[in-house]
Amino acid sequence: MTKFIIRRFLGIFPTLFIIVSISFFLIRAAPGGPFDTEKAIPAEVLVNIEAKFHMDEPLVVQYGRYMYDILRGDLGPSFRYPDHDVNYFIANSFPISIQLGTISIVLALILGISTGIISALRQNTWIDYSTMGIAIIGISIPTFVVGPILMYFLAMKLHWLPTSGWITGRHGYVTLIMPVITLSLPFYAYFARISRASIIEVLRSDYIRTARAKGLSGPVIIIKHVLKGAMLPVVSFLGPALAGILTGSVVIEKIFRIPGLGKFFVQSAFNRDYTIIMGTVIVYAVMLVVLNFIVDIVYSFLDPRIAYK
Amino acid sequence: MTAAIENQNKNEFDQAVKGSSLNKDAWRRLKKNKMAIIGLYIVIIYAFIAVAAPILPIYSYKKIILDHQHLPPTFTKTAGELMYEKVKTRMLIIAKKRGRTELNEREQKKLEGLRHKIKTEVKTIDGEIVKLHERIYYLGTDYHGRDMLARIIYGGQISIAIGLIGAIVALIIGITVGAIAGYVGGAVDNFIMRFVDIMYSLPYLLLVIIFMAMFGQNILNLFFAIALVSWLTVARIVRGQIISLKNSEFVEAARSIGASNRRIIFKHMVPNTIGIIIIFGSLEIPAFIMYEAFLSFLGLGISAPYASWGSLVGDAVEGMADFSWRLFFPAIIMTIFLFSMNFLGDGLRDAFDPQSKNKL
Repeated sequence: MTKFIIRRFLGIFPTLFIIVSISFFLIRAAPGGPFDTEKAIPAEVLVNIEAKFHMDEPLVVQYGRYMYDILRGDLGPSFRYPDHDVNYFIANSFPISIQLGTISIVLALILGISTGIISALRQNTWIDYSTMGIAIIGISIPTFVVGPILMYFLAMKLHWLPTSGWITGRHGYVTLIMPVITLSLPFYAYFARISRASIIEVLRSDYIRTARAKGLSGPVIIIKHVLKGAMLPVVSFLGPALAGILTGSVVIEKIFRIPGLGKFFVQSAFNRDYTIIMGTVIVYAVMLVVLNFIVDIVYSFLDPRIAYK
Repeated sequence: MTAAIENQNKNEFDQAVKGSSLNKDAWRRLKKNKMAIIGLYIVIIYAFIAVAAPILPIYSYKKIILDHQHLPPTFTKTAGELMYEKVKTRMLIIAKKRGRTELNEREQKKLEGLRHKIKTEVKTIDGEIVKLHERIYYLGTDYHGRDMLARIIYGGQISIAIGLIGAIVALIIGITVGAIAGYVGGAVDNFIMRFVDIMYSLPYLLLVIIFMAMFGQNILNLFFAIALVSWLTVARIVRGQIISLKNSEFVEAARSIGASNRRIIFKHMVPNTIGIIIIFGSLEIPAFIMYEAFLSFLGLGISAPYASWGSLVGDAVEGMADFSWRLFFPAIIMTIFLFSMNFLGDGLRDAFDPQSKNKL
């Protein structure tokens, strides 16, 4: 098991290296640069600016310098907003995205699994049909449709909730409600469907029949035996779900005007602000890779066969 | 194997046995699934409308008519009547603010002029002389006075095309790579599958966002960016299928009579994975439509004058409090299609794979 964890841990680094490298060269290969503005900058000035950001060096040297810098934890200065460096922007916006993402995934997991259990135990009743109906709605409607429609009814017509903003504003925690519902709905739906299907399968297995035959009570069987066996597919969907929450938050932050990392990401890609895009990609990638690592470890504890394959 | 049974045509009780292929069985199971069949019909209707768009009696989707800006949906009133009402209410509001209950002479005259314009004005669109203000916009108009119905239909054309082409490209690349990896095995398989693993762990939608923002928003880039990463799942699954088929008797038989590797892979093994391929094809189409809509919503996909469902929804968010029809119609129409595709895909999966190992 330890060997598996170590091997899996070492696998993180090449993945990160590849992501960072691909993004670096993809960004540099694109037409246009960070200093293309409406107003033409005089050539001498441009030379000076480029020298300041080391843009005059060969690409490989820039790449080496960048890699060295990020290893020291320095994401460099912003090209467009010279007053602050990228670390500053990320330190300000990342916690917001983290809060939004964590609340959403936890909510989706808890509600999704509970729904799954209920509809698996009441299979083919109206409870089952209605919850699975809601689940398929959640999967089919894209977040960028759910978000504006919620906003239209709850905020603009009924005035129950503020249209946008973040908890630090004057509305406090109510600003969380719509973004969290929108972001977690599809993942809630997937978790509900997956856990329902796998619980039904486990309920039919021999060891559950044995547990029943021993005379264990219903709740004990469900909690101690069924859930443990049925959680495998749920855990293996956690990885893709986390990636989805991450990209989903880009849209959510745009709809509800949340000052998180996603907002910077799209904007800076348009601005060709190389260092900010790179910084954002690195933060996203580290988060994704580390979380996937944790998911794999949890999975290998639930199903030890994985580690020995 | 089934061929042998079919050839005998009699069972042990000497009754005629009609052979039933895997695909026929699947079709029979699919027909029993009501939701899937409803989904299939809806998808066919959508496809028909999308294909027939140029000959349908709808208005131009790109002609800008500023007079018709933001007209609400209606079944009875012509654009001219709505325009007239809009101008008149605006005048009355202004008059009220200034403490008058009646319109003054200048305003009356203006309205008279507008009435005349509505009655007489004609424009040539696509070589036809059109009495513009007699149009009826069933689904309203957008910011540039373009017909929402036409934009949704043409937007659907683009969305569905992207879904289809994306899925086809993904299937072609995925099947080829997966089949080669599975059949050849060894170092080639190892190399290809490591590559797929690495690609899998990339936050690729983020890379797609960078790619689209930096290389410009056109349809070609969009296809390229999406197709680049979409074949991974197909490759994995086809590889698994091929490996399990590799040692079967019919492949051995083909090899023994000297069939080439290429022939064995593409004539004997790939057709046997057709069920899985259909399932994934049908599930990839809505996924692509979602990706495209996602990018268009962020302003990174289709750009004006073209539209897709995603870009229509994205454009509508601004100002949706006053012009809600711009948000609701494309959103509902897209959702119905995604719904139907998902039901159809689920149905196909249950039909081709009754044990449903790939259930999600």
